[in-house]
Amino acid sequence: MQEQLDKALEFANYRQSFAIQRKNLKEKVDAQLTYGFNGGIFKIDRSLLNFVEMLINKSRKENVVLLDMNDNPILVDDLTKFSDEVFDRYFSATFTYLEEYQKIKKARSVEKLLEV
Amino acid sequence: MSKGVIIFAHNNRQIDYIRMSILAAKLANKNLQVPVSIVTDPSTIDWMKESNIEKTVTETFDKIIITQRPDDTSNVKNYNDGKYHVHAPFTNGNRCNVWDLTPYDRTLMIDTDYLTLTDALSAYWEVDSDLLISGKYNDIQGHERVGYLDTHISETGIEMLWATTVMFTKNETTKIFFDLVSHVKEKYKMYSDIYRFNPIIFRNDIAFSIAKHIMNGHQKINEPKLPDIFSTADKDILVDVSNKKLKFLVAQNNSDAYVATTVTNKDVHVMNKFSIMRNYDNLMELAQ
Repeated sequence: MQEQLDKALEFANYRQSFAIQRKNLKEKVDAQLTYGFNGGIFKIDRSLLNFVEMLINKSRKENVVLLDMNDNPILVDDLTKFSDEVFDRYFSATFTYLEEYQKIKKARSVEKLLEV
Repeated sequence: MSKGVIIFAHNNRQIDYIRMSILAAKLANKNLQVPVSIVTDPSTIDWMKESNIEKTVTETFDKIIITQRPDDTSNVKNYNDGKYHVHAPFTNGNRCNVWDLTPYDRTLMIDTDYLTLTDALSAYWEVDSDLLISGKYNDIQGHERVGYLDTHISETGIEMLWATTVMFTKNETTKIFFDLVSHVKEKYKMYSDIYRFNPIIFRNDIAFSIAKHIMNGHQKINEPKLPDIFSTADKDILVDVSNKKLKFLVAQNNSDAYVATTVTNKDVHVMNKFSIMRNYDNLMELAQ
C-alpha cells in the first residue's frame, strides 16, 4: 500500500508542477498577444482578428476607429497594415504556445518538466 | 521625449540592494533598450566603494542620483528566504520623490527584485496615459495562494495597485499624483483610519492605491494599467538558473511543502531577495 501511496503522491506532485507550467505558459502567450498601437493597448484575440478582417472585407481600410482593451477609441489610419501586424503576432504566439505546450505535455515527470 | 527606467536602492545590513539593482538594471537595459538610472544615498554609495563595484555601477547606470536616505528606521519587516527569515529595515519611503528625481520625460520605475526578462513593458511607452500602475498581483502558483489582502488594501478597503512597476510622464497631473502619495505617506496613520488598513508598515502599494483612488474622484475607473505583476513569494526559492530557465521551488499554498517549476521568457518579481543573490552570477548571464 505504501508503494501505491508514494506513486500517487509523486503523481500529485507532477500534476501540480504541470498545472503551474501550463498557467505560466498561457500567461507568457497572453503577454505576447498584447499589442501597443497609437497610444492604445490591444489584446490580440479572435474577436479583434475577426472584426478587423470584417472591416477590411467591407472595404473600411483607412481611418478606422477601434476600441482598445480599455475601451478607448484608437485611430488606425491603415487597417491592412494593422491587420498584417496582429495576424503575424497571433500566429507567432500561438505557434510558440503549441510547440511549448506539446513539450510540457510529453514531459511525464517533474524532472522532465523542469528540463522543458 | 526621453524615456528610461529608474530604480531605488538603499542598502541595509542584510540586503545589498545596490548590487541587486545592477542586475535589475542590466536586464531592463537589455530587454527594453532604454537607459537606467539609480536613486541611492551616501551610505549605500560608501558601501559600493568599499565592495569594489563602483566601476560596474558607473558603467551600468545612465545617472546615479544621490539623495538623502529616507528615515525608515521604524519600518522593519521580515524578509523570508524559504523557511527562514531575517528582520531588517524596509527603506522604501522616498519613491514619491521620483517625479522630482527622474531625468526622463517618460519613466518606468521598477523594484530592484523585478527581473525584466522580456520586452513586454516596451508596449507601454507610447500608451496614451500619463500614469500606469500594475493593477494585479499574479502569483506563480495561481489563485489558490492569492489572498484578499493581495488584491485589496484591507478587508473593507479599496483595490490594491502594485507599485512594483509604475510608468509615468512628467507633467502637471503626475506631479499632483506624486505629491499626493507623499501626503498619504506623511499622514499614513490618518489614512489607515479612513481606508481601514493596517499601518504597521509603510507600503508604497497602499499609498499609491489611495492616491490613485482619490485622483480618480474616489471611485474605481476602468483605465489602462501595466501588466499584472507575475510574482514568486519570499517563501519560494529560486534554486537554479540555467539555459535561460529560472527553476523555482514554490511553497504550496505558503506551506512547507514545495513544488518545482520553471520560468522562461517572462518578467518575474522575485521577492526572495536572498535567492536572487545566491544565483546572481547566473542571472547576470541573462543580461549579456
